[in-house]
Amino acid sequence: MAADFVHVGKTYRNGLFARSGVTAVRDVTLTVPAGSVFGLLGPNRAGKTTLVKLLLSLSRPTAGSVARLGEPASTRRTLGRVGYMHENHAFPRYLSASEVLHFYGGLSGVSGEELPGRVDKLLERVGLADRSREPISRFSKGMVQRLGLAQALINEPDLLILDEPTEGLDLSGRQLLRDVVREWQAAKRTVLLVSHVLTEVEELCDELAVLVSGNVVYRGTVKELTRDSSGVRRPLESALRGLYANEVAA
Amino acid sequence: MTLADSIRTIRWMIRDTLRQSLSTKLFWVTLTVTAVCTLFCASVRVHGDRPMVRTEYEVPAVLPKTEAERIGLEKAKNDGVQVISGEMTVGFGAVSVPVGHSREDSVKFLHVWLAGGLGDTLGVLLALLWTAGFLPTFLEPQSATVLLAKPASLWAILFGKYAGVVGFVGLNAILFVAATWTALGLATGVWTTAYWLAAPLLVVNFGIFYAVSTFLAVATRSTTSAAFGTLLFWMFCWAINYTHHRLVMNPVEGMTPIASYLLEVGYWTFPKPLDLSGIFFDAMKADGFGTKVGEFQALQAAGKFSPEGAVASSIGFGAVVLALAAYEFEMTDY
Repeated sequence: MAADFVHVGKTYRNGLFARSGVTAVRDVTLTVPAGSVFGLLGPNRAGKTTLVKLLLSLSRPTAGSVARLGEPASTRRTLGRVGYMHENHAFPRYLSASEVLHFYGGLSGVSGEELPGRVDKLLERVGLADRSREPISRFSKGMVQRLGLAQALINEPDLLILDEPTEGLDLSGRQLLRDVVREWQAAKRTVLLVSHVLTEVEELCDELAVLVSGNVVYRGTVKELTRDSSGVRRPLESALRGLYANEVAA
Repeated sequence: MTLADSIRTIRWMIRDTLRQSLSTKLFWVTLTVTAVCTLFCASVRVHGDRPMVRTEYEVPAVLPKTEAERIGLEKAKNDGVQVISGEMTVGFGAVSVPVGHSREDSVKFLHVWLAGGLGDTLGVLLALLWTAGFLPTFLEPQSATVLLAKPASLWAILFGKYAGVVGFVGLNAILFVAATWTALGLATGVWTTAYWLAAPLLVVNFGIFYAVSTFLAVATRSTTSAAFGTLLFWMFCWAINYTHHRLVMNPVEGMTPIASYLLEVGYWTFPKPLDLSGIFFDAMKADGFGTKVGEFQALQAAGKFSPEGAVASSIGFGAVVLALAAYEFEMTDY
């Protein structure tokens, strides 16, 4: 499996002497199968980003265990096989696009011989080849997002985590992202897609999990979710609305 | 992570920090300060006496020209007194200062003041203030999350950032010393090397207190806390250092053994900015160009001061705080 959460809970402590806390994830048991495109959906503050952070070792669980690519998440070595893109990248503004990719590629463990070739190829792929030497302080949000995608792909990851990736992307950028996801799908690599854009999830994901208030309230295929009890197909949005309402009422 | 991986991470982080510092206004500010001081040094001229020949057993009898004129130049000459008749000008001759000693000593006077400003209190405090924002900016969640999701040791990332900032300060110090030393040398023909000690002193002094700034930055992610917390800590250390020397040399009646013990523990635990200044003063052979803090001088004269112990315990404190910062960094949620 690409990611495995077993009875995971996460409470962020705050206040003087950490006496108060906010529970972001309650008791999540979830497996992301290798080679699939897996969607993670849920309303704001459902705990989606916290799960992603736990998977990336950016946070530690307060309960349960998290495994990444078959090893405990505390083993940082496996991060070398993970690519991560999130919605609000703040790359060092003094670097150019090419320097950003060299920097993150170097830290990802890509060898010095391979790095220049990969950087050129990826800049070409995301449409930034002609702006590669410009400082990114001059880039628009969409261009920074494209660079973020290139950064996530620099180590040719086995697990690609995309957290709200289409935020700020124009139509061609969104198409580029879809192409990348499909390419990863075809290569039997894993993509974990966290998104609010339902059409994207519907179109790309093999499976999905829905998170509400820190709990998994649904795990299955899009097809199963969008069929009501009488077998009639309904829009994903209305299916999700039903799930959210049930959880809030509970 | 292997050692090779960690070294690679540190190298990348140092390179990135240097790039970051070169792109900030800070680099241009320090460059301007260096340029102004270099221009000042290039404007210095010393006319008159050559360096005096001194031997170990001879205490030379010298008088400045004005003093000798009062006594009578002929009389002074007959008495074997060497009359110093030089003159130092700064600002390309705009301001003239009579030279009280040899030309070499006049240049050394400038060296001591420049090095004191750079490597001692002022330079360290300014560098701490100027660089306090580097780590909090780097640790902002939006920029840190992608970086921290890379397969690099967190301690190596933090240490690389720390080393990059210390390296930046060191580079600036070397540039300052090299430029002013060369300008003064070319202008006066005096090339004493003790001045170069200012650069390593600044790096050691800064490195110790920047470890505290790093810890505060990791714990609070706030530039204000890192800057002012470190300055307050520096003052606290200076006060402990001074109080220790004062009470060792002038014990207060009624001071309990526990209080003395705690003061001794405090002295040996915390960095010692006062002692580091004194050691630098001695290394520069700056007697006659300034004065050391009296309590330090008294302790030294009494043979109760250990320079090796003072330097080693100060560096040790910096290393421990840096290790604590790395631990805090590992434990923090992003």
